[in-house]
Amino acid sequence: MQDLLYFIQQLINGLTIGSTYALIAIGYTMVYGIIGMINFAHGEIYMIGAYTALITITGLTALGIVWLPLILIVALICAMIVSSSMGWAVERVAYRPVRGKHRLIPLISAIGMSIFLQNYVHLAQGSSNIGFPALVEGGFRFGPEDSFQTSISYMQIMIFAVTLVCMTVLSLFISRSRIGRACRAVSQDLGMANLLGIDTNRIISATFVIGAALAAVAGLLLGMYYGSIDPLFGFIAGLKAFTAAVLGGIGSIPGAMLGGLILGVAESMTSGYLSGEYKDVVSFSLLILILLFKPTGLLGKPEVEKI
Amino acid sequence: MKTSIKKIVTAVGATTALMAAGQAAAEIRIGIAGPMTGPVAQYGDMQFSGARMAIEQINANGGVMGEELVAVEYDDVCDPKQAVTVANSMVNEGVRFVIGHLCSSSTQPASDIYEDEGILMITPASTSPEITERGYELVFRTIGLDSMQGPVAANHLASLNPERVAIIHDKQQYGEGIATAVRDTLTDAGVEVAMFEGITAGDKDFSSLVTKLKQADVDYVYYGGYHPELGLILRQADQAGLDATFMGPEGVGNKDINSIAGDAAEGLLVTLPPSFDQKEENQDLVQAFEDKGEDPSGPFVLTSYAAVQLVAEGIEEAGSKDPFDVAEALRAGTFQTPIGTVEYNQAGDMESFEFVVYEWHSDGSKTPVN
Amino acid sequence: MAAQNFKHALFSAVVTLIISYPILGFNLVSEGISVQLEGADTFTLVGVFAAAVVVFLFQLFRDTIMGGLGKLPALNPMANRPPMPQRKRLKVESVLLTLMLIGALFWPFIASRGAVDLATLVLIYIMLALGLNVVVGLAGLLDLGYVAFYAVGAYSFALLSQYFGISFWFALPIGALLAALFGLVLGFPVLRLRGDYLAIVTLGFGEIIRILLNNMTNLTGGPNGIGGIPDPTLFGMEFGRRVKEEGNTSFHETFGIAYAGEHKVIFLYLIALVLAVITALVIRRLMRMPVGRAWEALREDEIAAKSLGLSRTAVKLSAFTIGAFFAGFAGTVFASKQGFISPESFVFLESAIILAIVVLGGMGSQMGVILAAIAVTILPELAREFSEYRMLIFGAAMVLMMVWRPQGLLPMRRIHIELKPQG
Repeated sequence: MQDLLYFIQQLINGLTIGSTYALIAIGYTMVYGIIGMINFAHGEIYMIGAYTALITITGLTALGIVWLPLILIVALICAMIVSSSMGWAVERVAYRPVRGKHRLIPLISAIGMSIFLQNYVHLAQGSSNIGFPALVEGGFRFGPEDSFQTSISYMQIMIFAVTLVCMTVLSLFISRSRIGRACRAVSQDLGMANLLGIDTNRIISATFVIGAALAAVAGLLLGMYYGSIDPLFGFIAGLKAFTAAVLGGIGSIPGAMLGGLILGVAESMTSGYLSGEYKDVVSFSLLILILLFKPTGLLGKPEVEKI
Repeated sequence: MKTSIKKIVTAVGATTALMAAGQAAAEIRIGIAGPMTGPVAQYGDMQFSGARMAIEQINANGGVMGEELVAVEYDDVCDPKQAVTVANSMVNEGVRFVIGHLCSSSTQPASDIYEDEGILMITPASTSPEITERGYELVFRTIGLDSMQGPVAANHLASLNPERVAIIHDKQQYGEGIATAVRDTLTDAGVEVAMFEGITAGDKDFSSLVTKLKQADVDYVYYGGYHPELGLILRQADQAGLDATFMGPEGVGNKDINSIAGDAAEGLLVTLPPSFDQKEENQDLVQAFEDKGEDPSGPFVLTSYAAVQLVAEGIEEAGSKDPFDVAEALRAGTFQTPIGTVEYNQAGDMESFEFVVYEWHSDGSKTPVN
Repeated sequence: MAAQNFKHALFSAVVTLIISYPILGFNLVSEGISVQLEGADTFTLVGVFAAAVVVFLFQLFRDTIMGGLGKLPALNPMANRPPMPQRKRLKVESVLLTLMLIGALFWPFIASRGAVDLATLVLIYIMLALGLNVVVGLAGLLDLGYVAFYAVGAYSFALLSQYFGISFWFALPIGALLAALFGLVLGFPVLRLRGDYLAIVTLGFGEIIRILLNNMTNLTGGPNGIGGIPDPTLFGMEFGRRVKEEGNTSFHETFGIAYAGEHKVIFLYLIALVLAVITALVIRRLMRMPVGRAWEALREDEIAAKSLGLSRTAVKLSAFTIGAFFAGFAGTVFASKQGFISPESFVFLESAIILAIVVLGGMGSQMGVILAAIAVTILPELAREFSEYRMLIFGAAMVLMMVWRPQGLLPMRRIHIELKPQG
């Protein structure tokens, strides 16, 4: 019984982290699906989202506003606006001019952008860890009183709920709206979409903006969940999210969700049953194995080699 | 941070200018190496503020052998690789005496270079025993060792009659060293150590670790490492309802842990060097710090002050600026410093150094535990 | 048109404000136990608004500015000249190379200790970049985990010397061969992946190696690294103040000169120089051999190369292994130069920097890669005064280079054989 509760607890931990990975992974997967480039600066956009959220929360608290839902919603909106603008600007400055060049060129440009943004925040906000106030506290406990209890905090429930809402809205947006349809058309055949009168530049910008907005959501949620942020934490999270995107099949939105959850659970199980030191080894090994045996990821479409 | 950069530039600029003047002006350059940036920059601030104050006061009293002390400051970010670069820069600058480094993992590789190049080093903060274990002639410290601090912590834990203790460390020289010392003492005292595990410094998600601690049903957790990680562990443990008391070394005793952990920091036990700033005889010095708007209460402020003072007195005693002569004088003599009477053994460690257990509170204050 | 420009300019200016004002204008500061918000100084705020105005004006008059720029004479006076005939170009290049080599030989005797130390680092990066150039530039395989082989080289020397007391000269080939072996073993399953997937897997591999080094504390010392790595010896002569190994003599005593720390630095520099020259020559030779042609053929058109009977796996594997071999070389020298290594030195950023050197130099071109290695290593050092800003500038420079000169400093030109005109 106790072992089962322990397992469930680790599963909950893993799913929590996994769903935030999924939120960040959307940005990678949509950009790759449309223009076939790895947006290495995406992790930094997530980090900027977290900083903006913390700045907003601190500012609102200083102004004497204490009503929690208001603080959270304002912080979320501010973070989304700043991150989306950043995503838009990054695409305009660093990616659009090099689009269509040799595939190494955008990659180097993206890595340069990532270094730039990391140091931008580092210079503006300092490099030390900054505590993120715990706004949502408490939770439910299950199991016997006197031994191990499985707990699920309100914060974890909030992460699940927000991720679920975001994913549903995004799926509806992609399948129903005009821009969503255009996104799908562009990702199938950019040249053809252009010929059919779709403003592909605008659609590509929209992709970056959507990805960045979701990353900002993840930034706020993870900042609160972990408890501190620093300018370097975007890079690692970005790498993980990117792994999740590839795992699920890059270019596929349900794939990003699935990949994120699998990665999160794999990490927490490794920490729980082996040692936390090896969780990254396990996630990267998982990535390599999947790519070797199913190179397009779990839900990706097979690529046809054109001659 | 901006001011500190300016200070370095001025300090370095001043030294270069003086060098260009054919070293006509008599001066002794004192290198200060520690983290000005990075996750543990707070401790670096303590080190720099203590050392600068000592240099200022010594110069105000006529310098050393009639020569002025000049600070040459470098940032090593507590990164072993940068520490090597900094050490090489010190050699290039012609520095013969270094106060630093702060993190044991930086101090160790840097000391290889200093010893080789004939530079005397006094670390005011590195507690790893290995640093002075290698038979080096020019390596000293003004702080105790993990092998002194670990047992103090472990004996305190043992006196609380714990059922099961877990020990977590960040795998760095400092953290793992002290954690190992705690484990060994606890095992000798017959306390069950249920868990001994490393984490990765810089990690943010400790929910799995906390779950594991809960499963192991421990009542005390010792953490060897620095405050950014322990702050997160405390907070995530509180969220998950882990009912255990945490304890850590002086690397976690910083007000920043409160901004990360919030109320979860209440009741944390910390081993620290005694508060030198509370001592009767140091009140003038404390006043001098407060006049400058600096806080003398950090654990490394006065150890850094003492390190500079020891260099100065060592030079006077030896009557020579040669680091080897100074090292000999330091080993031979007895010195009165703000951290008490300092006598060195052959290895370069102080004959005695005291650690005290404090209880940390959620408002950032601490009270001694008896 | 003007109205549209205005709208776009206004939008861009607003975006500039949004992305800079919150981050630059408010500073999070830890005050005691809580985090407080502080407004930035007026100077920063003025800067933020000035940036927005500049962006607005630039976007508003973009057509005029861009048109004006187009009419200016090209920045590079060589741009419009027809390319030099091949024979002449080769001659110029070889003269340049010889001059550089002579300069490099005399460098340690005229420069300061710090400058020589830096030059050694440049040479290590040249070796690394030349090795990666084979993989990325010539064979067209995108490798984001190149630093793993560098780490293998460095750690094999460190471990061999720590556990078996093996000296630099024995460890050099062993380290390089071990790195090559790693390349071979990793390459075998991985090389059937194409393009970006290969990039991701190599990135994952690089991270795994680093994490393993970080976690196998018993063997590698974990995050604390391995210190006390011996310096290279010259026929059994050591360069330290005191002799560390039984049976060795010390350099300054043998020659009866005073001890100077410079000797060691200069000696290490010369070793690195010789190794870098060997690396360059070997790879230059390989490029002209059938295997080098095969790399390029595969890069240009995999399917055509296959149909001509080239074994895809063998060709890719050879490039991967040779690249890894030279990374191992560089790693051994690096370990010896630092005297101390830890996993911190082998992070992904290092891979990215080496890759940036290759791309910046003009993929495939040796001369370009050498120049880029010099530029990338020295520029941040020159900017020490702005040490806080140097990584910021480095990142921005990477982006700008890709936007303005994606073909690199000296793009590669294929060596071709001209037929003599008949008749």
